[in-house]
Amino acid sequence: MDLIRILWSRCTAFFSRPKLDDDLDAELQSHIDLAVEENLTLGMTPQDARTTALREFGGVTQTKERYRVQRGVPFPSTVWQDVRFALRQMRRSPGFALTAILTLGLGIGANTAIFSVVNSVLLKPFSFPDPGRLVVLREKVQELAKIAPILPDNPRHYENLKAHSKTIEDMAILQPRGFSVAVGNDHPQIVKGLQVAPSFFSVLGMQPAIGRSFRPEEATDGHDSEVILTWAAWQRYFQGDPNAVGRTLHVDGGESTVVGVLPKEFAFPTIDLMPVARHFEAAPLEIFKPLAIDLSKSADQGDYNYLVIGRMRPGVSLSQAQSELQGLQQEYTLATHLKSHLGIGVIPLMEEVTASVSTGLWLLLAGIGAVLLIACVNLANLQLARAVARERESSIRSALGAGRKRLLQLALIESLLLAAIGGTLGVLFAFAGVRIFVSAAPEGMPRLNEVGVSWLVLFFAAALSVATALLFGLIPALRSMRVEPQAAMQGTSTRVANTRQGQLLRNVLVGTEVACTLLLLVVTALVVKSFARVITQQRNFDADHVTLAEADLFNSNYGQKVQNFDAAKNSFIDRTLTGLAQIPGVTSVAVTSEMPLAGESWIDSVLRPDQPTPEGQRPLVNVRMVSANYRSTLEIPLIAGRDLELGDKSHPGNVLISAQTARTVWPGEDPIGKRFQLDSEMRTVIGVIGDARVNDLKKTASMVYEPYWENPRWRLYFLVRSPLSSSALAASIRGVIWKVDPQVPIPALKSFDDQVNDSVATDRFQTLLLSSFGTAALLLALLGVYGVMTYSVSLRQQEFGIRIALGSDRAGLTFLVMRQAAYPVVYGTVAGLALSFVATRWMRSLLFETQPGDPVAISVSIALLLAAAIFAAIVPARRAASIDPMRALRTE
Amino acid sequence: MGENKSDVLQGTLDLMVLKTLEAMGPLHGYGIARRIEQVSDNGLCLNQGTIYPALLRLQQRGWIKADWGLSETRRRAKFYALTRIGRKQITQETENWERVAGTMARFLASSN
Repeated sequence: MDLIRILWSRCTAFFSRPKLDDDLDAELQSHIDLAVEENLTLGMTPQDARTTALREFGGVTQTKERYRVQRGVPFPSTVWQDVRFALRQMRRSPGFALTAILTLGLGIGANTAIFSVVNSVLLKPFSFPDPGRLVVLREKVQELAKIAPILPDNPRHYENLKAHSKTIEDMAILQPRGFSVAVGNDHPQIVKGLQVAPSFFSVLGMQPAIGRSFRPEEATDGHDSEVILTWAAWQRYFQGDPNAVGRTLHVDGGESTVVGVLPKEFAFPTIDLMPVARHFEAAPLEIFKPLAIDLSKSADQGDYNYLVIGRMRPGVSLSQAQSELQGLQQEYTLATHLKSHLGIGVIPLMEEVTASVSTGLWLLLAGIGAVLLIACVNLANLQLARAVARERESSIRSALGAGRKRLLQLALIESLLLAAIGGTLGVLFAFAGVRIFVSAAPEGMPRLNEVGVSWLVLFFAAALSVATALLFGLIPALRSMRVEPQAAMQGTSTRVANTRQGQLLRNVLVGTEVACTLLLLVVTALVVKSFARVITQQRNFDADHVTLAEADLFNSNYGQKVQNFDAAKNSFIDRTLTGLAQIPGVTSVAVTSEMPLAGESWIDSVLRPDQPTPEGQRPLVNVRMVSANYRSTLEIPLIAGRDLELGDKSHPGNVLISAQTARTVWPGEDPIGKRFQLDSEMRTVIGVIGDARVNDLKKTASMVYEPYWENPRWRLYFLVRSPLSSSALAASIRGVIWKVDPQVPIPALKSFDDQVNDSVATDRFQTLLLSSFGTAALLLALLGVYGVMTYSVSLRQQEFGIRIALGSDRAGLTFLVMRQAAYPVVYGTVAGLALSFVATRWMRSLLFETQPGDPVAISVSIALLLAAAIFAAIVPARRAASIDPMRALRTE
Repeated sequence: MGENKSDVLQGTLDLMVLKTLEAMGPLHGYGIARRIEQVSDNGLCLNQGTIYPALLRLQQRGWIKADWGLSETRRRAKFYALTRIGRKQITQETENWERVAGTMARFLASSN
């Protein structure tokens, strides 16, 4: 009851302030008059009577102020006053305001942009119902643990798990694939899609918005010509026709019937079969087809060519599911008398998708956060200097009756106002920043298409603004309250300011800044060094002047239903190779079976007949089906033996191996002429070639190169060497391929150099961003040290004047200032070193052949930082030394 | 800002004001302040000004009401008087205070 009455009275008071103020004035006046009257009757002189009355009353202004606080709704009235005052202050020193707002705007903007990426990629749950229960199952084989710790799934093992698991509600096997889709008479195009078990959509908890899901009988060979489209594909191929269900689409050279269209919000992320493979095209999934698996044709050994997603039962934990499925795998191993020991990994869908980028993204967020922190420290220093300059103002305020709380409020409101304007600007920057990020980011980054500014992001920006305001506003505000009014009023403002405490505070701030900067520099130096190592590795191939063209033969002309499809494929390859070689300016042409630099693929095990080892312990190799001049086209060095030749057509089984294969399979022996078993067929080594990093710039792999004609693939990568540029050749290359077969899609046509660059796009992107953060930090630190030193020199101007007048030489003064600057820089450096030893540990996974404690990176960072600090301190130091003593002493 | 010589507990001052008004009837701010000084036998160094926020607080609670009137020396002054709620409140506030004072006294006694 009381509370309401008080509130009511305060609120009404708020709206009739002027009248109430008059009333109070009159009342206090009458109080004094009454007192004077009484004092006069006691026999005082009029003068004394008045003085006594006033003394006994205490401060009239203070009383009024307290009375007003008690009377009004304290917040809005005083806040509004302070906001107006702060705005006037900003107008008075537009330089400071502009610097602060821009710094904050850029800082908050960059942070918000990176946060919206982190949020969309790592934090935002998938749009499926209850996405936390979705998991990806990957198999483990104990015997292969060293080579491939985690594998895709075998369909027979999947059937066993699906039939017996109690922790997983339902699961679906799937296989990522490219489908060749033709619209009208255009050349077909490759679009990404999945072949899925009919349970796929119910596992995800989403059904087509139009039409239906797959039926169980559609997952059998011969009945699998149905297709489900994503919303975007429906728009693209059928212009959003509501009657699209039932119509047909030309897929893989045959007709597929559209049975369903998925809702717009359906977004299934890209998942790779092999964790070692890398995809760097951003094309979203468009097409889903039933996956028909003939279990009788599959074996329990090998055939790890699928992935499984599952939905855990409600209330089941990851470890419960893990241990149950692990048990099922072990039972299965025993029941089927398998020679290898099966295991399983249950991985949350989110982790499966984002594990490859999460460390990097968090690092970026931490990096940009550190930059903002440094910027805040700079602003805090600026505010501190301003607060000192305004110390007289605040002491006058407090002498006039301003309470401590009120002074603090004013100072904080100034900072909050700056941060609010900066934050608003920052949000605008963030919208732009997100766009720049998305266009500059490596295309293969998961969920990149989902990145955007959301409410959560805006809330983050607002919270960040308040946090920065507190960070750079609180310390100066608290300090300004500590000033004793008398001291400030008596002396010159500068003398009050240059207290030991003020100096210490500034040193701590600069030290913090230096520490953060050093940390960022070390991180930058490490990633730069790591990236430099990646791109300067001995590659053993020459990507210059080579153009890469992918051709996809997944169509009915070459399909498994065609009689003698290998001959058809061989004929296509032969004719294309001949045609490409005839393009004017082309010097050499070759073909290979896997996309270069896309990671390891087509992995098989090697068996030496003279030293048989059990399955699981055999060395693994990457197999490539290449043409005879593959080696010479890529200029991979020939180490021993000879190249493949067309003449080998009459000697089946002749292959080339890489030096690493030779070292692994025949250590210390001459491999030439040796025979081995690969995929149940015998091969003969005719040559050893260099360890070309054709899968991955970061590592070499054991390779076996077979002639393409023995096992022609459906996906082909033609390599064309020519002094002409790839763009100049593109039309002729397409012309040649489509002259041979116009129904063959060409999903990729680019220079080999571009492919090499794209393969390290993530590394380059991270390096670029982190080094720009490092540079920004260094610049800010430079400004910070410079600002503080300049300021402190200006405070000590008189002192320096006196020193010079007393005979101090200029070199000595320079040294004095430099030494003063050295304290925070040295302490900051030490702290920064300690910080970076701890912090860089968790970025180990991002570094290639570079240790987190790399001495070169660390010493270069320290050197850079010290150079910047010296540079920042030398200017004010020289100014101090060149002070004219007469002028300095007269300035008072 | 002058250090409060009279950092009297907030509730104490309020109760003093209430009791004064109960004893003296309607009175202006100066009169209340003087009366408190007299009763305390000048043992309490009260800044007379502090009385005003207290008066306002009591008004906001509805325990006292204020009106302009004329002093005995025919000077315009604001007179404060107890309201009905205020009168009832005195009993309760007095009890509260006695309880606190009693506790305090026991504390002081035990530490001797």
